[in-house]
Amino acid sequence: MRRLLARPSLGIVATIAAVALSACSSSFGMPRGASEQGRDIFDLWQVFMITGIVVGAIVYGLIGWSLLRYRRKGSDDDEALGRQFHGHVPLEVIYTAIPVVIVIALFSMSFRTEERVGNLASDPVVTLDAEAFAWGWRFTYEGHDVTVVSDPSGESVTGPEIALPRGEIVRVVLTSDDVIHAFWVPDFLFKRDAIPGHVNRFDITPTDTGTYQGVCAEFCGLNHAYMTFRVTVMEPDAFDRWLAERRGEEVAT
Amino acid sequence: MSTTVDRPAAAPTPAEPPRPGPVSWLTTTNHKDIGFMYCVTAFAFFLIGGALADLLRTELAEPGRQVLSNEAYNTTFTIHGTVMIFLFVAPFGAGLGNYLIPLQIGAPDMAFPRLNALSYWCFAGGGLLVLLSGFAAAGGGTATGWTAYPPLSEGRLSPSIATDLWILGLALVAVATLLTGINILTTVFLMRAPGMTMWRVPIFTWNMIVTSILGLVAFPPAVAAFGLLLVDRRVGGHAFDPLGGGDPVIYQHLFWFLGHPEVYILILPFFGVITEIIPVFARKPLFGYLGFVLATLAIGALSVGVWAHHMFTTGVVDNPFFSAMTFTIAVPTGVKFFNWIGTMWGGKIRLATPMLFSIGFLLNFLIGGVTGVLLASAPIDFQVADSYFLVSHFHYTMMGGAVFGIFAAIYFWYPKMTGAMLRESLGRWVFYLLFFGFNLTFWPQFVVGLRGMPRRIVDYATGLGFDTPNLVSTIGAGVMTVAVLLSLADLWISRRRRIPAGDDPWGGSSLEWATTSPPPEHNFTTVPRIRSARPAFDLHHPELEP
Repeated sequence: MRRLLARPSLGIVATIAAVALSACSSSFGMPRGASEQGRDIFDLWQVFMITGIVVGAIVYGLIGWSLLRYRRKGSDDDEALGRQFHGHVPLEVIYTAIPVVIVIALFSMSFRTEERVGNLASDPVVTLDAEAFAWGWRFTYEGHDVTVVSDPSGESVTGPEIALPRGEIVRVVLTSDDVIHAFWVPDFLFKRDAIPGHVNRFDITPTDTGTYQGVCAEFCGLNHAYMTFRVTVMEPDAFDRWLAERRGEEVAT
Repeated sequence: MSTTVDRPAAAPTPAEPPRPGPVSWLTTTNHKDIGFMYCVTAFAFFLIGGALADLLRTELAEPGRQVLSNEAYNTTFTIHGTVMIFLFVAPFGAGLGNYLIPLQIGAPDMAFPRLNALSYWCFAGGGLLVLLSGFAAAGGGTATGWTAYPPLSEGRLSPSIATDLWILGLALVAVATLLTGINILTTVFLMRAPGMTMWRVPIFTWNMIVTSILGLVAFPPAVAAFGLLLVDRRVGGHAFDPLGGGDPVIYQHLFWFLGHPEVYILILPFFGVITEIIPVFARKPLFGYLGFVLATLAIGALSVGVWAHHMFTTGVVDNPFFSAMTFTIAVPTGVKFFNWIGTMWGGKIRLATPMLFSIGFLLNFLIGGVTGVLLASAPIDFQVADSYFLVSHFHYTMMGGAVFGIFAAIYFWYPKMTGAMLRESLGRWVFYLLFFGFNLTFWPQFVVGLRGMPRRIVDYATGLGFDTPNLVSTIGAGVMTVAVLLSLADLWISRRRRIPAGDDPWGGSSLEWATTSPPPEHNFTTVPRIRSARPAFDLHHPELEP
């Protein structure tokens, strides 16, 4: 260990290895996804992270080995040269071809996940209109006469609270009529921009009950940091009661 | 024109390089003066941008607002981003190119010396306007982010004159980039010394060729976007304003058509820098020269087809196409890593300061590259786009990559530019502090990004797992600040108490090491015979000459 610390290059390699290992809890820091789409993205993330760590470890290993093995020794004179070779064509072909195979595999998986995540069901159970404005949200449950809107005063930290039914397909219809915002619920592993002049639609099928933080992810001016909301996923019957309690009123929080 | 001889006749060396006065700096057209001014000016912008970053980190050290108002915070990150990208990293690369390209190809100067001076002054003037837009404009500093997305940047929502100054400043910087690009391409294609075939051109110069082409391709659409935005703001146009029938997404396409090639404009020169340095300190030729050049060309070509991966979450672009293009760019970048490893393999590696910074570049940039592959996947991007994960990713490429390359370049070529060495002992400290501080700053940002912290927020709530990583990140920024101040001390001490460097302190490979330090007015009295990609190395090792 003392010899390890005495050699700075080794120290760096050891530090990075330690940092990488400490981050290797099984989810690699990512929320596991509280919706079907989020879980799909989480599974993709796992594959990408494991591939990335393996490739990164191989490259770090080769760099570390070169530095340790081929570092100039005290016995070498100042003019000592390394072996004067200029390349190795078969090796160069191999190290070009292997990354090609890896990225084709990764892209195929990513493509299939996006097809599923971006799929719009023909029969959403709940349609939630989400209108972003500077700096808050207006959520309207289509056909239920329920609207939840941000308190216009600004710096509320939790923001408006909406509910979603567990296990049901929720269609979100996202709009903005001033600047670009983005709807992001980190526990659903999903965000989408709200762009004036465009309507964005996506489906969320919540799988886990609980309350999750939502934020605006696209910089939108002065109070961007305070443009938050909360999503509570509840059982469908509790959700129906939640809607009934709020029918006909506009709730500002 | 230069003559070619078997052995170099060293140019007569003045005992002490003449100290140019202020008038000569204003009027010079010599590529070395201009290159040096570019580097010094860019480094001054680095200090400004770094001070702004320290302000941002101080504000974010704990939840709540402490030192900055919302307006001031938004202006600070806008100017921080603009300064670091357009006024520091890119111009530092242009400055190195100006200084080194004529030396590396055996030319007496750039092809268009006066155009070169115009480039520098456009850059300096544009930079000044950008700074004014942050701090000295009536109506408040510009606060639209460095991306300046409309409608937020439209006149009705950002009425301050500051945003107009910012646009004009960047337009001037764009002119500087275009002129420099034309100048570099003309110089390399037409002014190479006898024997300097394209396949013997040093890798740094090759990277500057591709950088220049990218600048010429990518900047005009961005200038068009900025121009249209200015028309929207001041003359009542509606190109990007949905209230008048415009579409803000068009701006994003034009902006990122610049913005993505721009990141390669930022990184390619420093791929070049470390590819010059690693062979010198491994005492070996570059492993796979041809593959490296082809990989650079491939990166350049692919980089103009990936722009909309910045727009995966807009819901209005063809994600799979841009995703596939972005994955592809990992291949030539991977090839370069194997070139660098192959170059170290079997060498006699000397860990001097320029080599340490180059290794730091490799270690950091690999993390930036691997996270870049994650970001290339549109579904993963749905989670990490516009989060601190993304912030950390691009700092691993830009700061951990390009800025480590800049420090490598400073320690490597300072002796060539001045004839004096920087202090190795201090240089090592700068490296270790910067490397440690950098990772301490940005590793926690991956963590908070995944936990849901968006970028560009002045404040965050407690209880979301953001507090500790943000504090650690701020401490890391402090360590980096110490490292940068130490590098300034090193520059100051080495200027006051010169350690003569000689003409070739490192045993260099490329042609600039075959002339004096600093080089004479027209670089070479006689150009040595060029029979390989390593003419200066061949001079010292005639027994190995091909």
